[in-house]
This record gives sequence, C-alpha cells and structure tokens, in this order.
Amino acid sequence: MQLKSRPGEGMKSALKIATTALFATMGHIASAQDAGTSNSQIIDARDIMTAKSKANDTNGGSTNITGASTQPGLDFDTSLLFYQESGSRVRAIEPVINITDTQDNGDVISGKLTFDAVTGPTPNGAAPATVTQNFVTPSLAQIGTTTTQTSGGSVTSVVNGLVTRTYSTPPGVLPVDAGFEDRRTALELGYTKALNRTTRLSFGGAGSSERDYTTFSGNLGIEKDVNNKNTTLALNVNFEYDKSRPFFGTPTAFTVMSAALKGPDDTKGELDVVAGVTQIMTRGWLTQLNYSLSELHGYQTDPYRIMSVVDPVSGLPSTYLYENRPRSRVRQSIYWGNKISLGPTFLDLSGRWYHDTWGITSITAEASDRIPISRLIYVEPHARYYHQTAANFFQYYLTSATALPNYATSDIRLGRFSATTFGAQFGFKVFSSEFYIRGEYYRQTGDHHPAAVTIPALQSLDFFSGVSAVSVIAGYKFRL
Amino acid sequence: MKNKYYRERVFRVALVCAALPAFGGCTKSIGVKPWQHDILAKEEMQLVTHPNITAADDHIYFSKEGASGGRSFGGGGCGCN
Repeated sequence: MQLKSRPGEGMKSALKIATTALFATMGHIASAQDAGTSNSQIIDARDIMTAKSKANDTNGGSTNITGASTQPGLDFDTSLLFYQESGSRVRAIEPVINITDTQDNGDVISGKLTFDAVTGPTPNGAAPATVTQNFVTPSLAQIGTTTTQTSGGSVTSVVNGLVTRTYSTPPGVLPVDAGFEDRRTALELGYTKALNRTTRLSFGGAGSSERDYTTFSGNLGIEKDVNNKNTTLALNVNFEYDKSRPFFGTPTAFTVMSAALKGPDDTKGELDVVAGVTQIMTRGWLTQLNYSLSELHGYQTDPYRIMSVVDPVSGLPSTYLYENRPRSRVRQSIYWGNKISLGPTFLDLSGRWYHDTWGITSITAEASDRIPISRLIYVEPHARYYHQTAANFFQYYLTSATALPNYATSDIRLGRFSATTFGAQFGFKVFSSEFYIRGEYYRQTGDHHPAAVTIPALQSLDFFSGVSAVSVIAGYKFRL
Repeated sequence: MKNKYYRERVFRVALVCAALPAFGGCTKSIGVKPWQHDILAKEEMQLVTHPNITAADDHIYFSKEGASGGRSFGGGGCGCN
C-alpha cells in the first residue's frame, strides 16, 4: 500500500497493525458468539459496513449490488452528539468511535464503542393539578450512593427511618423529577463472511450497560444477490436479553409511591426478524423494502413512572400509583427506502408503517437531498414527519371513583402525537476523509387540552408532555 | 351489507391480479447491466452514508417515540424507553 512507502507514516502503520490485531481478537470473540448484541447496536455495527460499501444495511460483505468500491483497509468514523430538550429538560452527550476492517479476502470485521451521559428533569407521569403537588421517592443514599441534601429542587431527609427524597411541583405545572441522571457504555462487534460472489453471512454481538439497565444481544444474517446482481434478498434474526435494575428496586404495579425500597430486578427477552429486498431500479434509483417482526416478553414498565389518582369531581390528586404495562408486545413494520440520483443531487426518500399489539399505529415519512456546493463541500437539508396513535391502555390519570384497570400509563411516548424534524448537514471532503456536522430541531405536537380530560377543574390545564429538542452531531471519517 | 363486503373483496382481488402482470412487465425494464453502475457505486447512493448519524437518529427516536425499527432491528440497546 502507499501507506508503507510514505515517509513519516510509521505511526499510521503502527496504528493499523495494532487495530488489526485488536480486530483479530474481536473476530474470535464474535465467532464464539459469547458477546450479546443489542438491537440498535447491531444495526449500528452493520451500518458501519453499509456506509462504505453496502446497499442493504442489514448485511455485510465485500461487494454489494451497487458496485461500490470496497478496497481492503481500515475505516474510522468518530463523532460527538450533543442533545438538549427545551425547558432545560434532558441533556445528552454521546461520543462514538466506529472502526471497520475490510480484509483482503473480502471479509469485514467491525467494532463500535459508544458512551452516553444523560442528565436533566423528566416527567414523572403525574398529571398537572390545580394545587401544589408533593412527591416522595427513596433517596439514592438508601442504596449507598452519595447525594446532596438539596439537589435539583428536591430535599433529602429521614422520614420514618427511611432516607427520603421529596420534591414539589407548583399548580398548573407538569410534574417532572429532576433526579434523572445516567451513563451508558456500549460495545458492538460484527463479522461478515463472503461465502462466494453473491452470498454473505454475518453475525455479531453487543453489550450495553447503564447504572440501572443492562442489555445483551446476538444476531445472525444472510444475504443473497440474485437477478444478475440487481436484487439482494436478506434475512436477519436478532435476540436480545435485557435486565432492568431500578435504583430502588422494581415497584409492584399500582402500589402507592413511597420512599420504601421495592422488589427484585426483572428481565425482558426480545426476538426480531427482518426480511428485506434491495432492488436496483435504474442507473440512478436504488430501492429497499423491509418487513420487520419483533416479539417481546418480560418487564416493559417504566419503574420510575407514576400515575395520579384524582377525585372525579374536584380533580384534586389523592395519591400516586406506580404504572403498569403488559409484559408481552408484538411489533410489525414495513419500511420502504429509496436513493435517487437527480442530476447533481442525491435524494433520500423513505417511509414506514408500524403497528403493535399495544394498539400503537404509526407512519413516518422522511426526505433529504444532498446538494454539492463544490467538488469538496456539500449541504444536505433534511425533514421528517411522524405520527402515532395511542396505546390502548394510555390515559392521563386514574380516578378514585373507578376500579383500577389491568394496565395504565400516562407516558406520552405511548400517547397520540405527531413529530416533525428539520435540519441540515454540511460535509467537507479531503482526499479519503470527511468532516461532517449536522444540526436538527425536533418538535412533538399533540393535544394540550384533550377531550379525555372530562373533569372541568382540569380542563384548563396543559396535559401535553411532549418535547422539543435540538441536536448537533459532528464527526470525522477517515481511512488508513 | 354482506354483498357490499363481497364486492369490495372481489374488487381488491381484481386490483391485485391486474397489478401483478403490470409489475411483471416492469421487471423486464428494471435493473442495470454490469457496466451501468457508475452512479450507483457512488458513496452518496448508498442507503446509509453516515452510520453514526443514522445510529444517533435511531437512538433519539427510539427514546422519544412509541414505534421503532423498520430500516433494521428496532430495539434501543438501552433502558430509555
């Protein structure tokens, strides 16, 4: 390679050798399938491969039907994401390093390391009220974690022998818990073997750990080029195992919010199958159609979320109960993606239909267009629209006059809303490297005074807890 | 009511039957020859060009919306939803 013949490139060579050795070790780990892989992490790892050379992002391999160049070498993609929600709510910072090694025989080994740091207030699930609301939770001091006496508007004290954290919400304001903070580390590995010129086998694993949540998963996939390499058929299977370890234990469904420690950890299993077809339509049009089916069993409730129980006449809250969601869920989706060359620009158009057994149906439409400014610089405006219906057990509050349902949540993520995203990406290419930066604005919209709120005293309050957020991601891609 | 139901059903089946030959006819004109990959082979024509951005989007939407997946597997690898 030219790399070896250039003076002053010793460091590059050493780095490449070291990274190759690391990948060789990772390959053995992946081969043994002793590393789990989370869904999105597997996706991400495969996307690494895809970005360089693939038409179908759920598969690896040395070539794909587009004929994109896949020279042996090491590809790096490093980035830093900054995410901030309005109203000083959740803030996240996420550095990522992504390495892909394309070997001489066409095999591809990839690895990705992600760190997350998330802080900020988040809605606790209680409905807004016409009076000041007081909430009581266990303090982190109960589980041996240091805490301040006053933090984020909350106060820590000893009540009935329990170290208790209390916080209040003024009248008419959406209750949020300011005690939210977490860090996550995730590692993903992927390996793709080119069995022959038209068939590729891929498998991978990943693990992710937060202070209160751990996930492992593994995946296996095969793709086959047919129709004179104008069509790729792909089938991928993923299994994920999650363990939920809430800071204060797992609360029993619909028990009263309190400072007492709760029950033992709980788990969830998930099986995903994605079948896809990628088709070259014309010289400038590539299309992909995927059908996805996921089955989830286990703990899927948010252990920190509560629901208000209100008086059916006055609307005043009498108590707060921990929410409860079904332990099983089946998800289906159909995704249609397109890449279309329009003169000098490249249009990305996609749509998705989604439905699950919780009663959520959603549609998503997304478009972006890469417009070259010069030979080295491009701009890519982007827009997305999303709409979902509510889960059949979503409700804003419970009333003391009616019996408890089997399941209930007030989490707006399971409610009815729409969301729009607008943004733009800029890229600057130098030789085989690229610096990119993208900024976006995301906004959820919904019913602030829903008809489901039938108590007159509450109808003037704002019940919509959706968010708006800005995000900026900057990255640098290069090849050794 | 029952007749209306059957009429709608027959109409749908007829629509699919009519569409299939049309699609079959189209299949003869779709696709390219091996020497016609000049545009398709460009980095800009790949379905995912910036995997870190795609991953960040998937993670954000997974943690803020009820639906996920489609492009590939739908889990989040985190306890954020």
